[in-house]
Amino acid sequence: MTLLDAVVQAFHLLLTGDPVLWRIVWVSLSTSILGLAIAAPLAVLGGYAIAMSQFRGRRIVIWLVQAALSLPTVLIGLLLYMMLSRHGPMGGLQWLFSQPGIVVGQVIIALPVLLAFTLAAVQAADPRLAETAIAHGASSWRVMATLLFEVRFGVMAAVISGFGRVISEVGCAMMVGGNIAGETRTITTAIALETSKGEFAQGIALGLVLVAIALAMNGALMVLQGDAHAARGRA
Amino acid sequence: MLHIARLTKRYGALPLLDVHDFLLEGATAYVLTGMNGAGKSTLLRVLAGLAPAEVQDAAFDGVPVRLEPYPPALRRAIVYVHQHPVMFSTSVADNIGYGLRARGVPRAEAAQAVEEAMDWAGVLHLRRHKPATLSGGEKQRVALARAKVLQPRLLLLDEPTASLDGEAREQVLALIPTLTHAGSTVVMACHDRDLINLPGVQRLKLRDGRIESR
Repeated sequence: MTLLDAVVQAFHLLLTGDPVLWRIVWVSLSTSILGLAIAAPLAVLGGYAIAMSQFRGRRIVIWLVQAALSLPTVLIGLLLYMMLSRHGPMGGLQWLFSQPGIVVGQVIIALPVLLAFTLAAVQAADPRLAETAIAHGASSWRVMATLLFEVRFGVMAAVISGFGRVISEVGCAMMVGGNIAGETRTITTAIALETSKGEFAQGIALGLVLVAIALAMNGALMVLQGDAHAARGRA
Repeated sequence: MLHIARLTKRYGALPLLDVHDFLLEGATAYVLTGMNGAGKSTLLRVLAGLAPAEVQDAAFDGVPVRLEPYPPALRRAIVYVHQHPVMFSTSVADNIGYGLRARGVPRAEAAQAVEEAMDWAGVLHLRRHKPATLSGGEKQRVALARAKVLQPRLLLLDEPTASLDGEAREQVLALIPTLTHAGSTVVMACHDRDLINLPGVQRLKLRDGRIESR
């Protein structure tokens, strides 16, 4: 099969609604979105707390968060595999080679990205914002809500980056999910498998879906940021 | 209204403030002058609970208070406005109502108070504008309205006319006396001669960390 044939067949799979292909897309999207939904509130609260607090060991925490950004997902997969395997401490959950196992991996992968970006966004905010909120009688929760609203584009960028990292990772999903067809086969594990078999059409189709998702997510962020810039520019 | 027997503040080993027997009367305007770096802004920030200091024997309306942790009674009574006020990225009206919402004032009552405050500051026509589109003078008036709407007992203004000129400055200058008429005590850190010479304004000078009444 030539490259052109593979591309034509990829579009055919996409446009005819191939159930196998779209099941793979669904597994990827559902596990990534669920993982992100669990990780985002934790990370945003954590990032805000680290940015706004002074405590012993704060710099070490920031160092660890930033170091975790470059942790290979295959290593996270290995650790999680050992935890979830039958004799591991979480073996009783029977989440190995299941979607909940993948979701746990996605949470662990997304957390440092979301934390680091939120931390950076809150640290970059004008310190007078929090002071103004405090000076006008805001509670700690309202100060947090106010500040996170003011840095919402940074937080959105964090969420989009986190989503990008989890949907595009392959190591953890492969090890913890097991690449079971129709169950735990994700876009990336399917691409890896199909390529190893020399079947490029499905891989190209899934790659196009990944690119489309990336374009849509970043496009949405740009539109939102564009609206904010336009509002600032209106005199 | 507010009496502090002694207030000290250091930056490392360097003493910045050593204020003795500091008394602010009710419904009075004060200007706080002093060289750059004398600690004017720091003193206002300490009084607003935004910066720590060692405070001995403070009393508000005759009731002993501590500034650390900052008591809710003072938080409700004292409002601080930055030299260059920062606005939240909502509308002007929303900014002015911020403190009212934080205090749980009912929506209808808050809306009425916001309208009155916008009218007072001459910013009614800007109610739906985003603060990023405002001039420096408009921002300062919105910040004053945002503070005034809370009916503070003590309003701390850090250089309220700094970086303003012409009509914008005149408009802000005209608002200051009305604050004391409304019952607020106003302390303004400033260098502005016109502000210092406003009628009925008490002068405080910060020199070598101490306050001199003039």
